[in-house]
Formats: sequence, structure tokens, C-alpha cells
Amino acid sequence: MSNLSKEWAHSSLRGMMLIREFEETADKLSLRGKIPGGIHNSSGQEAVAVGVLSALDPLDVIATTHRSHHHTLAKGFSAREVMAELFTKSTGVSRGRGGSMHLGDFHRGHFGGNGIVGAGVGIAMGAALGIQQRGDAKVSVGFVGDGGVNTGRTWEAINMAVIWKLPLIVIIDNNQYAVETFVDRVTGGGDIAKRGEGFGLPSYTINGQDVVEVNEYTAKARQRALAGEGPTIINALTYRYYGHNVGEKGQYRTQDEILDWKTNRDPIDLFIARATSEGLITDSEVAALRDDVKKEVEDAVDFAEKSPQPDLNSILVDVDSGLLGGK
Amino acid sequence: MEEIFVPAVGMAMDNVVLLEWLKNPGDTVNAGDVIAIIETDKTTMDIAAETAGVMGAHKYQVNDEVPAGNTIAVILGPGESE
Ligand SMILES: Cc1ncc(C[n+]2csc(CCOP(=O)(O)OP(=O)(O)O)c2C)c(N)n1
Ligand SMILES: [Mg+2]
Repeated sequence: MSNLSKEWAHSSLRGMMLIREFEETADKLSLRGKIPGGIHNSSGQEAVAVGVLSALDPLDVIATTHRSHHHTLAKGFSAREVMAELFTKSTGVSRGRGGSMHLGDFHRGHFGGNGIVGAGVGIAMGAALGIQQRGDAKVSVGFVGDGGVNTGRTWEAINMAVIWKLPLIVIIDNNQYAVETFVDRVTGGGDIAKRGEGFGLPSYTINGQDVVEVNEYTAKARQRALAGEGPTIINALTYRYYGHNVGEKGQYRTQDEILDWKTNRDPIDLFIARATSEGLITDSEVAALRDDVKKEVEDAVDFAEKSPQPDLNSILVDVDSGLLGGK
Repeated sequence: MEEIFVPAVGMAMDNVVLLEWLKNPGDTVNAGDVIAIIETDKTTMDIAAETAGVMGAHKYQVNDEVPAGNTIAVILGPGESE
């Protein structure tokens, strides 16, 4: 018997598979020069994104980082609109103005990716303050990397969230590296979660390759936030399979290390094994899901390629309030 | 069949020039072998094969300009032809 529902298992597995297929495809397209400006591939980190977002309400707010395709897809944005944004086409989530690093839509509770390492938690904290002021029954989630979590502004924001009991959840998408820097080399005190004690909030280090564990901790943090008890930090240990950015030829980690994570701790494989042994999914259903996400990503690429570039005359749209001709 | 191409990495990928071929058509290629060297505005770069096989035709000659993303050769698997 499983305490997971079949529906949750299927949608979570599909969500992780979609991210993997999307990222592997986008990586190739980027190397071929079809996606301008490069991408930050999140392959390997699927369980963090899907575990967190599956514990949230669609109206909850997220603010993310430069590596945000997985969060965005897990929030329910379509592969079509995300791929089109990577191609900087007018049909993209940000109407082709943002590209890979600036996916977002305020109306759907996505306060964006951004290029400033460590900015996501501050943005999410502001959103949490807005939620509290309005009395909305929502929470705000700020993603940050293991590199970004060593920025001062991140802890400034956490401190304010603690004293004001803001409905904030901080997710450390801890993929072990900040570009070429291994997390342990630059993290004072070892376990980042221990810092939570000094700031006066619950803080957990968890297995970020286990989508169920991520979901459970996020759900608990959400309950606490909704009850007015304040923020929580979740340090989810994960791993990125590709380089920091597309095409990187890294010499800073061994092939053995990468292979170990891929073969022994892959979030998709681990969840398939669990869901299968608990009778939640069959081999043929797994194969059907793989087929399904492959088709969805192929369709997304086709859609992105055929979509038009933004019209030059629309350059001021979303830039000003109408004074200069935008709106 | 593996397509060997000039990857579009970084901003300065205009004016990529093929500097040198290290494999000729018909040569045996091992995974990881450097096939060609290219030069960008900023640096030179090795282009390696990911799979083993037999080297196909040179689609560009030394000193040719190659648009980023373009295929410069293929590595043929057993029984494959161009
Ligand atoms: C304020 C700031 N400093 C430095 C950079 C350059 N930079 C971009 S990504 C990155 C590493 C971030 O590592 P991490 O937070 O672990 O996120 P990951 O890339 O692993 O997802 C750095 C240093 C930046 N964009 N912004
Ligand atoms: Mg990192």
C-alpha cells in the first residue's frame, strides 16, 4: 500500500520527465545556435521543482533564479510558451523580451527569474509582505542556489520575514556548485540549514532527489506560513548534470561524481522505482509518459520555431504607462 | 551517425574560422578524439567526437568561416554511409 495517490504519482513523474526532456532538447538547440544567449540547464534538479510546486496552490507566488526552466514548467507554464520564450518569440511567456533567464508572469504568481544571484529570496519576501498586507490565503516561495545563499541580501530578507512572520518559504536549490565552486569550500558552518537557528526559523536539509520528501517538507512549510507562524528554510540537496551554462567544458568535478549521481540518485529513476514497487504505475504507463513528454517538447519546438519575433513597433509595450506610446 | 558541429557557446561566435583538421575522411575515430580546431574572436577551441566511428567528408576547408551551429563533418557508425 502506498500513501501516495496514483494521480499525484503520475502527474509528478510526468512533470519531472517533461522538465528533463525539455532541458535536454533546449541544450541541443542552444548549442546549434537556435536559442540565442545560452541557457542554464536544470537536468538533475527535477524533484526539487516538482516536489515544491506540487505542494503549492496555483495562486501561490514563486520568485526564482537564473536557472528557472524547471520551476516555471513545474508551476504549470506550458512547454510551448517556455520554449517560445527561449527562442525570444512573441508567443513566449514574456512575449519574447526576456529569454531563458527572464521567464515570468505576475498574473500567474510567477515573479520571474533574474540574473542577479541571490535576488530571488528578496523578491519573494516582498511578495510575501504584499500577501500579508492584503490578507490573502497564499504563500510566497523564493528559490536560491547554494551560491546565492551566501549573499547578504538573502539573509536580510529572511530576517525581515522572521520578525514580520511573513508567509515565505525559502528553497535552496542546492546543486552543489556555484559555477565551478564546490559548496563545501565556501559554506561557513557546514550545513546551511543550521543557520536557520540563529535567525529563529525552522530550517531543514533534505534529500532533493526525492520528490515525495520535497513535497512533504514544502507542504508543512506552507501550513506554517498560512497559519501566520512565519517562514521556513528548506535546503534541498540535488545535483546538476550539465555545466553551469550550456556548452561549458568543466574540469572542476570528476566524471565519476557525475555518473554516481546520474546512476544512483536520479530523481526520475528513484521515483519510478518507488511508484512501481508501491503499485502506482506500470512499466507500460512509464513508457507512455515518456512518449507523451517527448511529443509535447517536439510540439513546443515546432511552435517556437514557427512563432514570429516580437514586432519592433511593440518595443515600448510593458515598458511605460502610455506616455511614450507603450501601455 | 554523429554530427560534428561548431557549438554556439558564448557571445563572440561570429567569424568562427576552421583552423585545422585533425582527422581525415576514412580515419578511425575514438570517442573523445579531437576532430578539428576552430578559432573564434576570443580563443581557439577543440571540437571532439562523442562517439567512435569512421570520419566522414570535410564539409569545410581550413580557413573557411563556419557559422556557429553548422555541421562540419559526420562520424559514421558501422554500416553507415553519408
Ligand atoms: C550578484 C551576482 N554575482 C555573480 C553573478 C555571476 N553568477 C551567475 S550564476 C552564478 C553562480 C550561482 O550559483 P548558485 O547560486 O549555486 O546557482 P546555480 O547556478 O547552481 O543554479 C554566478 C556567480 C551574478 N549573476 N550575480
Ligand atoms: Mg548551485
